[in-house]
Amino acid sequence: MEPAEEDWLVESLRLYQDFYAFDLSGATRVLEWIDDKGVFVAGYESLKKNEILHLILPLRLSVKENQGLFPERDFKVCHGGFSDRSVFDLKYVPDTSLLVTSGLPGCYLQVWQVTEDSDVIKAVSTIAVHEKEKSLWPRVAIFSSAAPGVLHGVRLSSLQVVDLESQKTTYTSGVSDSEELSSLQVLDADTFAFCCTSGRLGLVDTRQKWAPLETRSPGPESSALRWCAEVGGRGQGPGPRIASLGSDGQLHLLDPRDLCHPVSSVQCPVSTPSPNPELLQVTWAPGLDDCLAISGFDGTVQVYDVSSWDGMGNGIEPLFTHRGHIFLDGKGMDTAPLVTTHTWHPCKPRTLLSAASDASLHVWDWVDLRASQ
Amino acid sequence: MPEIRVTPLGAGQDVGRSCILVSIAGKNVMLDCGMHMGFSDDRRFPDFSYITQSGRLTDFLDCVIISHFHLDHCGALPYFSEMVGYDGPIYMTHPTQAICPILLEDYRKIAVDKKGEANFFTSQMIKDCMKKVVAVHLHQTVQVDDELEIKAYYAGHVLGAAMFQIKVGSESVVYTGDYNMTPDRHLGAAWIDKCRPNLLITESTYATTIRDSKRCRERDFLKKVHETVERGGKVLIPVFALGRAQELCILLETFWERMNLKVPIYFSTGLTEKANHYYKLFITWTNQKIRKTFVQRNMFEFKHIKAFDRAFADNPGPMVVFATPGMLHAGQSLQIFRKWAGNEKNMVIMPGYCVQGTVGHKILSGQRKLEMEGRQVLEVKMQVEYMSFSAHADAKGIMQLVGQAEPESVLLVHGEAKKMEFLKQKIEQEFRVDCYMPANGETVVLPTSPSIPGGISLGLLKREMAQGLLPEAKRPRLLHGTLIMKDSNFRLVSSEQALKELGLAEHQLRFTCRVHLHDTRKEQETAMRVYSHLKSILKDHCVQHLPDGSVTVESILIQAAAPSEDPATKVLLVSWTYQDEELGSYLTSLLKKGLPQAPS
Repeated sequence: MEPAEEDWLVESLRLYQDFYAFDLSGATRVLEWIDDKGVFVAGYESLKKNEILHLILPLRLSVKENQGLFPERDFKVCHGGFSDRSVFDLKYVPDTSLLVTSGLPGCYLQVWQVTEDSDVIKAVSTIAVHEKEKSLWPRVAIFSSAAPGVLHGVRLSSLQVVDLESQKTTYTSGVSDSEELSSLQVLDADTFAFCCTSGRLGLVDTRQKWAPLETRSPGPESSALRWCAEVGGRGQGPGPRIASLGSDGQLHLLDPRDLCHPVSSVQCPVSTPSPNPELLQVTWAPGLDDCLAISGFDGTVQVYDVSSWDGMGNGIEPLFTHRGHIFLDGKGMDTAPLVTTHTWHPCKPRTLLSAASDASLHVWDWVDLRASQ
Repeated sequence: MPEIRVTPLGAGQDVGRSCILVSIAGKNVMLDCGMHMGFSDDRRFPDFSYITQSGRLTDFLDCVIISHFHLDHCGALPYFSEMVGYDGPIYMTHPTQAICPILLEDYRKIAVDKKGEANFFTSQMIKDCMKKVVAVHLHQTVQVDDELEIKAYYAGHVLGAAMFQIKVGSESVVYTGDYNMTPDRHLGAAWIDKCRPNLLITESTYATTIRDSKRCRERDFLKKVHETVERGGKVLIPVFALGRAQELCILLETFWERMNLKVPIYFSTGLTEKANHYYKLFITWTNQKIRKTFVQRNMFEFKHIKAFDRAFADNPGPMVVFATPGMLHAGQSLQIFRKWAGNEKNMVIMPGYCVQGTVGHKILSGQRKLEMEGRQVLEVKMQVEYMSFSAHADAKGIMQLVGQAEPESVLLVHGEAKKMEFLKQKIEQEFRVDCYMPANGETVVLPTSPSIPGGISLGLLKREMAQGLLPEAKRPRLLHGTLIMKDSNFRLVSSEQALKELGLAEHQLRFTCRVHLHDTRKEQETAMRVYSHLKSILKDHCVQHLPDGSVTVESILIQAAAPSEDPATKVLLVSWTYQDEELGSYLTSLLKKGLPQAPS
């Protein structure tokens, strides 16, 4: 073992309650939960067949009692499928056996089926997309209900909701604004949030004609090339909060009731600019108050406690930094790995999954060092 | 139809109890002879009656091959050879031969003494069984008989584990046993050359898993040990004498050094004795690369690890102890366990599978109150941790091995068919090979196209070469000859030589055809006209006019004759040999069209 790797492993005894490291056959940009026991991953290589896998988490992670009696630390491949295209996004349609993926080449969505009597994930149908884009792929979010709908769009102008079963369009944005979308997020049965690559954010009610609550776009003084956002956040104050992350490391917190004035704006201590701004990600912790995680700048994932921010943006330090992808790079690749995606475990408060460009997949439960002080 | 037949034996779909029957080019080989640890009755043995309904196993089977010493691969061997009856050779590697009888005896003791089983093999049977063993070295081609040969390849996994190639003529099968493709600290990874067998048989128990990295498993072990000693507790690690113990010791030693820890680590004396024996076996078994890292120091001379004395168990304060036996069923490890079980600060780490009936098995099942001898009840308050350090190939590993060996087909055993469709497709797509997944008792039949070598006679070869055209790899050349099959020999010779050898006379076949022409001139003139006509058309052929009036085209003879009945009609007799059939037919149809008008 390399000394640096050994050092980090010894250090990790103190930093992590638990830590698992896996090697997938291909890197993934997707980590999508199906209940709290399984995740989907999917490859994004351009010249070969990619795999879509349904992985069951190691038993040790799922059991509540007597964890020590379960030696299994492996992922189980429950289902697998093949995709000719790169997969950049994957969404599971709750209470169905269906998945929707988005990728390139070709601007359309692919619908897949996961059945119990076979372990093969089959492609069943496609959803056409309004505009034909060459290098942009549609963002996807799912309206889950008795009749699930797929919200998708490349630009604000091409935003629409399609009923999954009938393939009928049930909603369109109806605007000509061609701003490129960065993310879409369904909030409840009638509302969704969008974030454009420019940083422009909006909350939309599908029952009304297009009249979203919006932010002012960050002006030309912003050095960020690209933005992403997530609505969520438990903790101080009523209702959800929105976190918006720019490729220059800027992080804004916004209150949905007043999107024009950020509650706080900070500069995260990350290496900038991000080598691939498309991989930027910010996520709220479902089980912790005021905590969020960011990735996409390098081979790390950083966790922040936003309750300590005073709105002035000075001296911001992450609560925790996961460096596993850098130190456990056993492949001796020339380029340092880049974290492609991360996600929080729905039930275990400090457990996250993170994937990197070297096809590694980590599951880690970090120790809140403040608690011991 | 030449074929290879494979049948996994045993009842039920359960994992464990590896035993595979292979028929290749008339030879019958049994691969592994495992015991199913979960059953206490006959279900634990493979169903040997399948092999042959009547007749002796010794007559039917050409050999038995054992891949490694784990009981689910060799546990039924003494039962098979001594109680069912088999006297033929049993092949395994040297370390397997050394370790197998120890494990078998341990297991026998537990089954008979602890569980009171009847109808189990005896110690003498184990000894008699081992007398039939022929030990092999890695990469050594072993002739089982003058047609069947086998060769062992390094499999990693455990000391002595091997993958076997079974070859008869040009047909071969490779059986992997258990193996791993990611290197171990002291065992390295499996390796095979591009031997291109007709069939690769691989265990697929872990085929649908993605394994946690070795680093993380080790980290988990270190964390548990560290946390326990930090709070003043004692850690008991029951180990089998030969195997993982050494690896865990190296791990702890490195960690203790780095963290500058002073907590004592002990290694029970039973282990040290066997450890040297193990060390000797090990050092001759592994490859150069691994050997080099261990030659620097004796593997079992540790700075921080000392020999254990039973009195130490009563010492206050934290400590770590490695003790035998591994399943806590007797001896020192059980003694220590009884002393430490009542304190919740302590921990026992079980590094492997425990057989039913042992204390190890009970506590791993969650039992916290144990009935010991003399009706004493032991309350287990210490923490129980079950850790798995065994190295197996997962989906990625299987793909790597298939890529190395380049088989024509792949066969997966010990997986559930429903859960393996994806892996089957993956293998078929990536390598363009057929992938089979038989259930236990189901036979897979693979047709093969064996290549049969034949000699070509020098005379025939020279004749072909003399024709001037050199043989070219990409373009097939048509060669005429006679194939003589005698005994198991195939020879290609010229027809003349074949006739000579067989004492037969050569016969020539000649065809003659009559073409009627309207021509009033004399037959000599007709012949002349035929000659001119053919000469002008057949530029590529040798057309000749012979002094006797006949015309030849190559070897075809054309003669003009005048039938007495009709002076205006001439008859052309066209004759050719069988070899010139094509040209002869062509000439005949040409002449039937008539001759061009001669200038008058």
